[in-house]
Amino acid sequence: MRTRFTALALALIVMILAVAPISAQDGGVTFTFGEFGNPVQLDAAIVTDGISFRTLTQGCETLVEFQGDTTIPGPALAQSWTTSEDGLSWTFKLVENATFHDGTPFNAEAVKWNFDRWRLTTHPQHFAEQVFEYYEAQFNGFDDASLITDVQATSEFEVTFTLSAPIGAFLNNLAMPMFSLASPAAVEANGAAYGTPEVGFSCTGPYKFVEWVSDDRVVLTRNESYWGTVSGNIDTIIFKIIPDNAARLAALQSGDIDAFERPNVEDVPTIEASEDLYIQLRPAFNVFYLAFNYRIKEFRDPRVRQAISLALNRQEIVDAFYVPGSVAANTMNPPSIGIGFNPDVQTPFDPELAKQLLADAGYPNGLSEVNVLALDADGNITDTVEETIPIRLYFMPVARPYNPDGEGIGSAMVNYLASAGINAELASAGDWSAYLDARRDGQLLGLYQLGWTGDNGDPDNFIGYFFASVDTPLAREGYYQNAEVAQMLQEARVSLDTAARDQIYKDVEAIMAAESARIYIAHGPVPLAFNNRVQGYVTNPLGTEFFKTVTITG
Amino acid sequence: MLLRLIPGDPAVAMLGERASPENVAAIRERLGLNKPLPEQYMIWVSGLLRGDLGNTVRGNIPIASELSNRFPATVELALVALTLAALLGVPIGILSAARRNSFIDTTSMFFALLGVSIPIFVLGLLLIYLFGVRFDILPFIGRLDDAIQLERRTGLHIIDSILTGNWPALQNSLTHLVLPTFTLFTVPLAIVARITRSAMLEVLNQDYIRTARAKGLSERPVIFSHALRNALLPIITIIGLQLGTLLSGAVLTETIYSWPGIGKWLFDSIIARDYTIVQSVTLLISLIYIIVNVTVDVLYAVVDPRIRVS
Repeated sequence: MRTRFTALALALIVMILAVAPISAQDGGVTFTFGEFGNPVQLDAAIVTDGISFRTLTQGCETLVEFQGDTTIPGPALAQSWTTSEDGLSWTFKLVENATFHDGTPFNAEAVKWNFDRWRLTTHPQHFAEQVFEYYEAQFNGFDDASLITDVQATSEFEVTFTLSAPIGAFLNNLAMPMFSLASPAAVEANGAAYGTPEVGFSCTGPYKFVEWVSDDRVVLTRNESYWGTVSGNIDTIIFKIIPDNAARLAALQSGDIDAFERPNVEDVPTIEASEDLYIQLRPAFNVFYLAFNYRIKEFRDPRVRQAISLALNRQEIVDAFYVPGSVAANTMNPPSIGIGFNPDVQTPFDPELAKQLLADAGYPNGLSEVNVLALDADGNITDTVEETIPIRLYFMPVARPYNPDGEGIGSAMVNYLASAGINAELASAGDWSAYLDARRDGQLLGLYQLGWTGDNGDPDNFIGYFFASVDTPLAREGYYQNAEVAQMLQEARVSLDTAARDQIYKDVEAIMAAESARIYIAHGPVPLAFNNRVQGYVTNPLGTEFFKTVTITG
Repeated sequence: MLLRLIPGDPAVAMLGERASPENVAAIRERLGLNKPLPEQYMIWVSGLLRGDLGNTVRGNIPIASELSNRFPATVELALVALTLAALLGVPIGILSAARRNSFIDTTSMFFALLGVSIPIFVLGLLLIYLFGVRFDILPFIGRLDDAIQLERRTGLHIIDSILTGNWPALQNSLTHLVLPTFTLFTVPLAIVARITRSAMLEVLNQDYIRTARAKGLSERPVIFSHALRNALLPIITIIGLQLGTLLSGAVLTETIYSWPGIGKWLFDSIIARDYTIVQSVTLLISLIYIIVNVTVDVLYAVVDPRIRVS
């Protein structure tokens, strides 16, 4: 018996030691990027997740695209454009030598076909079971509700858009990867299966789809017929799916992958100390905030809100929880935004002043319990106290670049507040979906964490997204109401005067800071980890990063 | 039903921070989630009867094809891990029982305790660091290197590479199996060893074993012919239960080793409230348990004539 066990053990050891080393890739230069999950789908128009967009950005192109490391749209499939004085008509001159990966020509008719597909629910390829979420969000809806009312091919390589109202961020919207143009022939041929693992995508970009093995990899290869310039040397891109963060770092260390996004904050120093690896930061285009639910009677007093703001040491929170390069936030719009950042707004840390303000507001002994006001039938807040509850601070159950550790930061916040006489308890509202549900319905009765990452580089998609409709109290925004702010943001939304828009957004930030309407905590950059072999990767605040600039050395 | 009762829905999970009442309502309508629950269920069941498991809520991808890609990965890992666990666990249990309170018994039961105690992610990451990074001798990502091509026949890489005579793929898939298997089999190995030991000890104390020894039988036939056969029922039961558990997917092992099985998929789908995936995988897992239970019952009859007669 003993001999058999020994033999078995020896066999196992031999099995471990006798294996061949991991096979090397062959067939050109390969760039392997570690992803933490699958793309949801590869039909750009119907997805909303970053993994899908990173894949699509390498193969699918938009009319205009964000230039380098900026949020400024520049030429892509459209080489130039003009707009009418009233901003209701936009004409784009298209490149004339582009073809889709399936060999069909790219022209004005293809642009019209794509926009008609997204816009018109009667279009044969606007499949009922698909959700064209971003078109609806950026252009106000479908059919008659759409701000784009018509798209015409005015010549083979000229396309004209007609709008029902000016859109200040029109070019920024067009540069978003969800509005990249697919081959009409490919979508028509594959129907709703276009973008699935079996079919992939067919666009005009420098890399074309090869295969997608679920939970394993997505492979793209160089499009030899690409109309544009590829400054890097990559022949094959592999998005390798490695869900675990520690395993992704191990894969980078072992050379199995060349890069990945969002290492653990605590792993960043290890990577920076390594001779073979380096970190590159994507500029922070996000914000982490602490919101008030205005159904809490005490939070309707600006002195209480300001006391809470003064009690929080944002810089210490950033230093303790965020990757180096993060900044404490004073405003919602981040410094990296093109227009609308107001550097004059400052939010100091002053717990003594916070205590004084609390005393002035009628709470000389601090605050531990708060009163919840009832809603009327229309959802408006009344003066009737519905119940008295402890002060709760709800923490986010997921990590985000803008909030790497919701519970940890929440605990720190509770401690800061206690030092100023505000005794809050840390509260959970379930998993992410449940948390978002509760936030949407205004059920997070207290203070709650949340954040935002901008989609298109424009402040209308930042502060405008949240507060342009607060002329009525919105449950999803904690019942905050400010008609003046709403009107200013709606005015900025339709203005084509960049300087005027810049001033409006700055003024809105100042107004909201004066009343401590919401507490902004931090802007967190996104770290990306690379092997030293990788050169030329350009990070973009919006994450639209093109691997065509990347060179693999050695 | 339980999943539907917990807060959150696919539209909210899909929209994330962008979830406003208006766009959540619009998406719910498009996905058919605003229909009454019984109607949604009937739609799913009627599809099922036609062999259509439906499409994922996110991405609208056919579930049947996703399942057929992922399930073989889970099966392959589970069978290899359990086979190894049974091949090692049963002899270890027998040896421990036969040499009760000896050094071998104490040592093996210590490791069995360690096996059920050590967190999977700790063991997994330790193995990755040692064999994948430090010594760089074993792969730890997925089932096959990207450079290796393998024609799909069954989805089980070992079987497919043998069927197609693709020996590099066989070697490559075996090396990919080593670390996940060692991580996954520790718990079933420990459980099988402990149950085997307990079952054997109980039998070894029976009168008929004393009689056998009194008749002058040597220890080997006493253990293997008289004791083991009578101790097999609980061993078969525990192996069957472990098989059911492993075939339901091993979330942590699959996550750490980027193993494209159904465990991680199911877990992500629950988080994303992708009801159609959860329903389909739950159905599959139920079928697995039924098949495993029936098989175990049949095996009872094979090893124990008393059950056969009754």
